[in-house]
Amino acid sequence: MILEAKGIEKSYGDLEVLHGINFTVADNETFAIIGPNGAGKTTLFKVLTGESVANAGRVLVRGKDVTGMPDFRRARMGFGRTFQVARVFSEMDVYTNVTVAIEAYLSGQDRLSSPWWAWAPTAEVRREVEELLSRFGFARSRWRSEAQYLSHGDRKRLEFCITLATQPRILFLDEPTAGMSPPDRKEITRLLRTLKKETDVAIVMTEHDMDIIFELADRLMVLNYGEVIASGTPDEVRSNPRVRDVYLGQEMSHA
Amino acid sequence: MNRLALLAVAGLFVAFAAAPLVVNSGLLFIAGIVLTEILFALSWNMLFSYAGLASFGHAVFFGVGAYTAAIFLKYDYGLNFMLVIGLGTFLGGAAAFVVAMIVLRRTSGVTLAILTLALSQLMVTVIGYSGYLGRDDGIPSIPRPVVQLVVFAVDMRNQIQAYYFILIMTVLAIVLMWLLLNGYLGRRMKAMRLDPERAAFLGVDIWRLRVFAFTISGSFAAFAGCLMVPWAQIVTPATVSWLHSAQPMLATLLGGAASFWGPFVGVIVMSAVGYLTRTYAGLSELLIGTCLLIVVLLAPQGILGLLRRRVVDEQMVEDVAEHSVDSARTEKEIA
Repeated sequence: MILEAKGIEKSYGDLEVLHGINFTVADNETFAIIGPNGAGKTTLFKVLTGESVANAGRVLVRGKDVTGMPDFRRARMGFGRTFQVARVFSEMDVYTNVTVAIEAYLSGQDRLSSPWWAWAPTAEVRREVEELLSRFGFARSRWRSEAQYLSHGDRKRLEFCITLATQPRILFLDEPTAGMSPPDRKEITRLLRTLKKETDVAIVMTEHDMDIIFELADRLMVLNYGEVIASGTPDEVRSNPRVRDVYLGQEMSHA
Repeated sequence: MNRLALLAVAGLFVAFAAAPLVVNSGLLFIAGIVLTEILFALSWNMLFSYAGLASFGHAVFFGVGAYTAAIFLKYDYGLNFMLVIGLGTFLGGAAAFVVAMIVLRRTSGVTLAILTLALSQLMVTVIGYSGYLGRDDGIPSIPRPVVQLVVFAVDMRNQIQAYYFILIMTVLAIVLMWLLLNGYLGRRMKAMRLDPERAAFLGVDIWRLRVFAFTISGSFAAFAGCLMVPWAQIVTPATVSWLHSAQPMLATLLGGAASFWGPFVGVIVMSAVGYLTRTYAGLSELLIGTCLLIVVLLAPQGILGLLRRRVVDEQMVEDVAEHSVDSARTEKEIA
């Protein structure tokens, strides 16, 4: 059991967004959180990752309470996160983006061998950067392109690249394919599938694209108005009449 | 940094090195002051363009250095001036560290601006009460030292020697700053400015890095203050005031934010305007104001940004062209 959420409650002023959410995520499991807009998915995400603090409830990682832990410490513990709209360091080139990530990871683990006043990245850092870049399909000719001039799909790919540079053990993906073109979507899906197969990282994701959810998720949880209305394997959830009512039916009529 | 902008900066450095040979002592005096102001502006820009923090009271740290140097030279405590510079720089850094610990706890935006501004005015008031620091009149007629270096001495009473001492110290500091900001520390700080949340999710302790950046930047400002004193031979509370704090901001806006050399160019342009209009009261402010207005409206990237823009546009065209080939290939592969 890598992640455990116990009775998470969150409200913004009088507006109660989450009412007592409970769930667990096992190692190497892909866990999806779905629900209509305004169901509280993003809020739950923020509580899990440490961006906002829950009013009640606890978040445990391997049994250790991390509820009040700031986000950078969670990152050092092995939390990785991508955002709905890819967030990379826009005014830096592709290579530097990944360098920053690798150095941040090594420094967080007290394993960065160069001092803070070092001018050039160490050979070890450069090797890891180049390895990651080629693994994520960034050709050498694009290493010096500034991130702000990348296409949406490439930025998303770069975001994955810098997130995985920190070798996360649990990965939080907020709508990983939102606003992407079909080929980019396919590529992200393929990337996630490879990641699941090759590493034992646990994934917590929200997503609106049901095809991707049903393809990737081992288990999922449906939120509606801040409550869990169903959870289980994709097949169990799909056949749940209440879920069809509040979410899937609606989603299908949209399509 | 493209070739044109680099050439401009290199040219200005050469001009500074050649100044004693071509200009009169009045102009040389201004050139020396400009050098320390450049260093001061660069130290502010280090916070602004790299760490993403706008300090509105940066003159405080410059002032800590300046007053430290002034006290040691005026009251003749007999400490080697190199050690005085070291001490002043350390005290400036320490002051910046304390300020950062207090004001950066919860804020980095507008509150930071107001708090640093208030702090600088507080320091002006404190100086006003201290006879030791010369109250509102400051410390005048500070003697110039003979700086004992390991194998030789620099006699700052000689105008030329003093000028080259300041030039070399400034250049060394700028080189050091450039190396820091283009290395690990600069990358980390820039990442923090561009997206603090993203950086935190990679494991960067944002608060600690902000305090660190503040401390380093304060040290550089204090270093500049230490250099200014034996040259100007006077230090007044105006050195610490908000008006002085505003100089690096104007220089950065004018020269170009988000670049290392922007403030360098900005300070020189501002000083040139100030010098050329010195006989017309108020004209200098009017011209600087107009320049700023034009820059903000027409070239938000500043003067250096204007020089660089052409190159970026070309780069973008290349990138886009390359990318469309790439994505066409990817689509084919997936299909």
